[in-house]
Amino acid sequence: MRATTLVAVVLAAILLVTVPAAQTGPAVEITFTSTQFSPVHETEWARDTLFRAFETETGIRVRFISELAGPYMDRLQAEARAGRGSIDLTGTLHGDFPILVPAGVARDMAPVQADLARRGDRTFFPDLVRISQIGGTQAYVPWMQATYLIVAHKRAMAYFPRGSNPMAMTYDDLLEWGDAIKAATGTRRIGFPAGPGGLFGRFLHGYIYPSFTGSQVKRFKSPEAVEMWRYLRRLGGVLHPSSFLYSFMHEPLLLGEVWVAWDHTARLLPALRDRPDDFVVLPSPAGPRGRSFLSVIVGLTIPKTAPNADAAARLIEFLTRPRTQVLTVQGVAFFPTVREAAGAVPTGGMKLLAEGVTAQQGARDARVALLPVGLGVRTGEFVPLYVDTFREISVLGKPIEEVLAAQARKLEELYRAMNAMCPPPDPAITPCKPD
Amino acid sequence: MLLAPSLVFLGVFFVYPLVQAFGLSFLRPEGGLTAEHFQRMLGDTYFRGAITNSLLLTAIVVPIQVAIGLVIALLVNSRFRGHLWFLYICAIPLAISDLAAGLIWLSVFTERGYLNTLLHMVGAVREPLTYLSAEQPVWLYGAIIAAEVWRATAIVMIILLAGLQLIPRDYFETADVFGAGGWRKLWHVTLPLLRPSLQTALIIRTILAFQLFATVITLSGRQVPVLAGEAYFWYGLYRNPHVASAYAVLIMGVSVVITWVYLRVLRLREEEVAGG
Repeated sequence: MRATTLVAVVLAAILLVTVPAAQTGPAVEITFTSTQFSPVHETEWARDTLFRAFETETGIRVRFISELAGPYMDRLQAEARAGRGSIDLTGTLHGDFPILVPAGVARDMAPVQADLARRGDRTFFPDLVRISQIGGTQAYVPWMQATYLIVAHKRAMAYFPRGSNPMAMTYDDLLEWGDAIKAATGTRRIGFPAGPGGLFGRFLHGYIYPSFTGSQVKRFKSPEAVEMWRYLRRLGGVLHPSSFLYSFMHEPLLLGEVWVAWDHTARLLPALRDRPDDFVVLPSPAGPRGRSFLSVIVGLTIPKTAPNADAAARLIEFLTRPRTQVLTVQGVAFFPTVREAAGAVPTGGMKLLAEGVTAQQGARDARVALLPVGLGVRTGEFVPLYVDTFREISVLGKPIEEVLAAQARKLEELYRAMNAMCPPPDPAITPCKPD
Repeated sequence: MLLAPSLVFLGVFFVYPLVQAFGLSFLRPEGGLTAEHFQRMLGDTYFRGAITNSLLLTAIVVPIQVAIGLVIALLVNSRFRGHLWFLYICAIPLAISDLAAGLIWLSVFTERGYLNTLLHMVGAVREPLTYLSAEQPVWLYGAIIAAEVWRATAIVMIILLAGLQLIPRDYFETADVFGAGGWRKLWHVTLPLLRPSLQTALIIRTILAFQLFATVITLSGRQVPVLAGEAYFWYGLYRNPHVASAYAVLIMGVSVVITWVYLRVLRLREEEVAGG
């Protein structure tokens, strides 16, 4: 008798404690993984500003996890293989989706996209929706865009080549500029993010290669490419020797180690936000074949194994809302994917950046390059091929033609093995092959 | 039965990943044995540098660490006034991760770092110098060695100190009776009896030295490639777990060989001592 009473009391106590907790606690928590927002200040901003606003509005908590590309892809693919997962929403670069779609990770986002369209408050840029179609499904909802620019300290402008227009800078101007700074101060003040976490590889395949040769892959070992590598060797003489350590250029810019820096918009913004009066933003340089720049697209998708797909769809609705998109561009310098947000007038450091982007996109000689797609599981090998080529030619000083021939063989093997198409501005040839 | 928990632990966290790493490095993604991943590793532009640097850094760093660790351990063991404080201060780096240690030394050696600030203050330089660049390999290496010695000497010191405290006082008293001086006692009593601890310290430090990469990457980027760093890059950057595993298997192979050498060399001499 006493034992039953005791059990009853314990059960009642458990019920008293757990039932109200279950009723008043947060209704849903969703897990959102991404390769983006990896710098600490971006992660903090996402957690404290972006997702807090969503939680206040909906009561849905967001557990945001920013991961390196390797573990990020492994985790998504492992969940898909297991048929059971904990990730509700995921956001990554356009170039990762050709891996995620055949791996059975991403579900068709067309119904979500159609729901968003029905709301009538946002118009996605049509070309973004077009390229989000992969393998017969809509792989993602376009979330954010970014590009790469040059930020220069105002004191460096005194050395800019006379007679040239900084807003229409060429690669020759950049070299002359670096030479002038070196001649006047004895120091090398042009910097690139060539460190292990930096995005220098993007500069090689998406900026300077198409600007000199008109292509990323096809003209890899062409005479124009040889000319380009000769140029890069000369440019090496005016680059800050610590470039091989830099991952985010806002740091050396703010320290004054570097006066002229090329990097991803989100990785330049902190410098502009801290000291908007000290810096100017310039478009990336133009070469003999135009001013090539990369357009980076980040998309959102709900994994097939997502436990809370509806809540994830609500977060997508929130993230692509024009007001949220303006908040995002102000906070971390990722640009909108919906037309209604593109018209918003930014302020402070962000205004400088937005003007730089406009100058780059609107230039007469502008030429858009896209990240390579279709390399599947071997996507990760593409960029290092270019960075390794740089190391062999510019750092180790090996003969240009020989290195290019050897690296072109690797590039050709990669494209042939994956039967992938050349990335724009190259012609649409499958499989892509360096001439 | 009492062994079961540790066996399960070892099985799940050591043996299983080990087998997987071997599998990844020798198997084709679509099945079948292959040496292709090892060939890619050998043909990689960073491979030769990585193996040279890993061996060179280990050969330089480990002896310095053992020497300094031994000196500190002997000092602490001499129980001078305030020796406990000295011990605590020397042990601080134990609690610091290799990445954090790299960042601390980066803030010393970077162009706008503490070293240049100091040199500028005392008037030694007018313009800040750049140390961490492939154009200054001696400085670059020096910075990595300084960071590693600072970070990981403490573990050697702790192992040796524990060993010193295990040596019975009788030996020293006997040595005193025979009129041995401080140096002779160190050479003929302390060091031979410390051999097991020295062996442990050497094995642990050498194995860890081959796994070193966060400090090196922070201070040099990929200008000084090392084996563990290349494993990391092949996994995280190239997203190729096969070649990454090939590097991991190579690191394991080198570690096993070196451990075996230590065990043999140091044990043989121990027997000599016992026999003599």
